[in-house]
Amino acid sequence: MDQTFEITENEAGGLPVVSVAGEIDVATAPQLRDRLQAQVAAGNATIGVDLLDVTFLDSTALGVLVGALKRCREAGGDLRLVMAEPRILKVFEITGLTGVFSIYATVDEAREGGR
Amino acid sequence: MTTDGRPTAPGGAGGAGGAGGAVVELSIPVQADLVVLARLTAATVASRAGFGIEEVEDLRLAVEELCLSLVGPDDEGRLRFAYQQTDDAVTITCTFEPEEAGEPEGPGGPEGAGESGGAGQSGGTDQSGTGGDTRPEEELSLRILDALVDEHGRDGDGRGAVAWLRKRRALQSI
Repeated sequence: MDQTFEITENEAGGLPVVSVAGEIDVATAPQLRDRLQAQVAAGNATIGVDLLDVTFLDSTALGVLVGALKRCREAGGDLRLVMAEPRILKVFEITGLTGVFSIYATVDEAREGGR
Repeated sequence: MTTDGRPTAPGGAGGAGGAGGAVVELSIPVQADLVVLARLTAATVASRAGFGIEEVEDLRLAVEELCLSLVGPDDEGRLRFAYQQTDDAVTITCTFEPEEAGEPEGPGGPEGAGESGGAGQSGGTDQSGTGGDTRPEEELSLRILDALVDEHGRDGDGRGAVAWLRKRRALQSI
């Protein structure tokens, strides 16, 4: 049921970026969790997560992102989220997570975020 | 806002409608990749009830959270959904029936097939590391439901637990 779900990894100006497309729900969130854990395990303390093409996101997905943020910060880095879709932003707003994550409108802004 | 006023319309798990609206029922095994069916059904029922796009999306997310609030990581069994449209609202009731309950099966036949993982939230929780993380999604899930629907609530734990929500149409959609 997750035919449209896809995760790709690339780099933007030195920032490792995990890009997600489709619906992040209880069925697909474990794939994102595994990718993010692998990034941290590979020594990347600061990671960008591109959610621009995400069409649905639930509390399971939020849990994965919160867990990844914790690991990044423990490693001395950060998890930078990229999103622009109001529906996705709304989920972060109503859960109070806009004050927890570093959120950017574009990958370029996320790349520049810490500078 | 959570209330104690459970809707009477669904009449328990899959009751036959109350005043006003037809009841659509869905029964699925507790399986992560099938929860999408509950979302699709919610979206269809809400659209037919004249809800706006934004409200349909709210309901889609809310029913997912309703489901996640009922089942744990190791739960097996069935989730039964009853969707009822009334004049100005959609009410969704979700009943968790554990496999051990030995209750009569519906037309879907006995479960057990495809138990590739529960729909519970551990599927996505970042649980690696020592001691296991707490599950922040439970609190997040409640916040989402509080924000997206007019009323929601839950009765019971584990066997036969029931959670429900009601969302009214915005005035401009009526």
